[in-house]
Amino acid sequence: MNHFHLAWKNVRRNRRRSLVTILIAAVGCAAILVACGFALYTYDMLSDSAAREYGHITIAQKAFFEQEEETPMQFGMADDKVITAQLRSLPEVKEVLPRVSFSGLISNGDKSVIFLGTGADTALETKMRGPFLRILDGKVRAPQKNALPYVLLGVDLARSLGAKPGANLTLLTTTASTGGINAIDVEVSGIVTSGWSELDKRLVYTDLDAAQKLLMTDRVSTLSVYLGDIERVSETIQALSPDNVGKTLRPWWEQAFYYNSVKNLYNRIFGLLGFIIATLVLFSVINTLAMAVVERTREIGTLRALGAHPEEIVAQFVREGFLIGVVGVLAGNLLLWLVIAILPSLGLEMPPPPGRSEGYPLLVSASVNLFIITNLIIIILCTVAAWAVSRNAARKNIVEALGHV
Amino acid sequence: MNMSAIVLKSIVKKYHMGTEEVHALKGVDLAVPQGAFVAVRGPSGSGKSTLLNICGLIDTFDSGEYLLAGEAVRQFDERGRTLIRRQRIGFIFQSYNLVPVMTVRDNIEYSLLLAGLSDKECEKRVQEILDQVGLSGLGERTPDQLSGGQRQRVAIARALVKAPVLVIADEPTANLDTATAQQVVDLMKDLGQRLGTTFLIATHDDRMTAHCDRVLSMTDGVLQ
Repeated sequence: MNHFHLAWKNVRRNRRRSLVTILIAAVGCAAILVACGFALYTYDMLSDSAAREYGHITIAQKAFFEQEEETPMQFGMADDKVITAQLRSLPEVKEVLPRVSFSGLISNGDKSVIFLGTGADTALETKMRGPFLRILDGKVRAPQKNALPYVLLGVDLARSLGAKPGANLTLLTTTASTGGINAIDVEVSGIVTSGWSELDKRLVYTDLDAAQKLLMTDRVSTLSVYLGDIERVSETIQALSPDNVGKTLRPWWEQAFYYNSVKNLYNRIFGLLGFIIATLVLFSVINTLAMAVVERTREIGTLRALGAHPEEIVAQFVREGFLIGVVGVLAGNLLLWLVIAILPSLGLEMPPPPGRSEGYPLLVSASVNLFIITNLIIIILCTVAAWAVSRNAARKNIVEALGHV
Repeated sequence: MNMSAIVLKSIVKKYHMGTEEVHALKGVDLAVPQGAFVAVRGPSGSGKSTLLNICGLIDTFDSGEYLLAGEAVRQFDERGRTLIRRQRIGFIFQSYNLVPVMTVRDNIEYSLLLAGLSDKECEKRVQEILDQVGLSGLGERTPDQLSGGQRQRVAIARALVKAPVLVIADEPTANLDTATAQQVVDLMKDLGQRLGTTFLIATHDDRMTAHCDRVLSMTDGVLQ
């Protein structure tokens, strides 16, 4: 006689009730997996966005990360070309993007607006930012001799200035060398959006040379290092220790404040949600098994009279709870796969989060660790529920149990 | 010399019903030889069920001494009493008390598994007892596929498959028609004699008492 076979027969004894319990376990399991899978998808998307924005690793002077610059490029790097060449020789490094960060006024002649500028290889910048810096109008153009430098404008800044691709504007800023004012004329080559409405009101991208010329510097603010594999950031930082590079290296997650805030918030929200769902599953299984235990009180008394120890009776119910849990999580996993398969075709969108101008697709990520942990939690809950409801019944006075009607 | 399977000396059992103390057994003395077929009669509330429960080690007593096959059982705790039950005592209930999801074979085998026998030994013994109770072809059926008489035969097989010292039977023929009851009594007596098992049977059924070696009468917690 196989104990699990017997347990399965007992589970099937009241089929409708067991089916409902298994469904509750399945829906609970699927709900936790979907909710946490959505959070994981959001984390993946935000981490991708942050890593594309800052680079997987950002290299700068230590003071750049810790202090405010009193004059432009005060904490800039003059030896960026040497470091860039050194980094590009490493097989794990996919791309190195020098950036100059600056700010000032942008004017169309009638109106001047504050801007936040980035000087970089704009083609590479838009390539690395991918879907997180979308060109809405115009295109990225390479700098040309005897032509005005090109700029990409944030969509709301362009609207504010009434600028379209081909329009001429003027950038004014404080120079790095003397602290005086300098200005250059630029031509709008494209209109972009970062997905952040506040940023799109200030965003200006120009090529690195134009930015350095405007600031009268040969320094860069940062070097953004892009790796072939985001999972190798820590390992690469160790290999590129400050001793080798002579600068401070920061992984993307130390700069991704929005990512970290959302992750902290979602961890709490979905953690609480998961706890509530798990509690509901626990009480449902307890309820079902408690009814089964009451119905089988006389049987428990019989088995005890035949010589079964209380723990052997409890073990029988625990096996039944375990089987309910196993079947429940198998059904729950199947439900999750259905959700994962169906969601993309539904094209559901989440509304834009606070501060953002664009929503994002409602999708769910699957993770092996999440599967293992959730499945284990549900199975353990069902097993614990069975243990909790049967332990007193198994110790009930045998004569009373035999007399149970 | 025929050794006593059961020896009870001045067994007292009290229950508390609220503040009232009820004496279910008032100093019962009894000696039942090994292999005997003994009936206990008495009106409802006379204490016969309590006596059988104590003899079957599913209930405790307050004072006195109980020797099962020469061994004092008072020294054993609940765990020890459970071990004695699984090795040396069988039960036959009025309502058969078979586990409905188990097959006939599994119901019988369960006792042997508890006793720690190997699968092979279990299989052999189960087949033997099924042959003896005339249910050879019904081993894979579940209790709901059997008649009342067949169910009681399974219960008898379950009680006797481990060749116990003592079988406690509570009204084993009460739910059976005359012909079936006669077959069940014959079967119990036959197997009991073969195995040398002592039967202690609570019954009101004259068909049963007619076959017993000894009929005890119980009134108000006292054996007559």
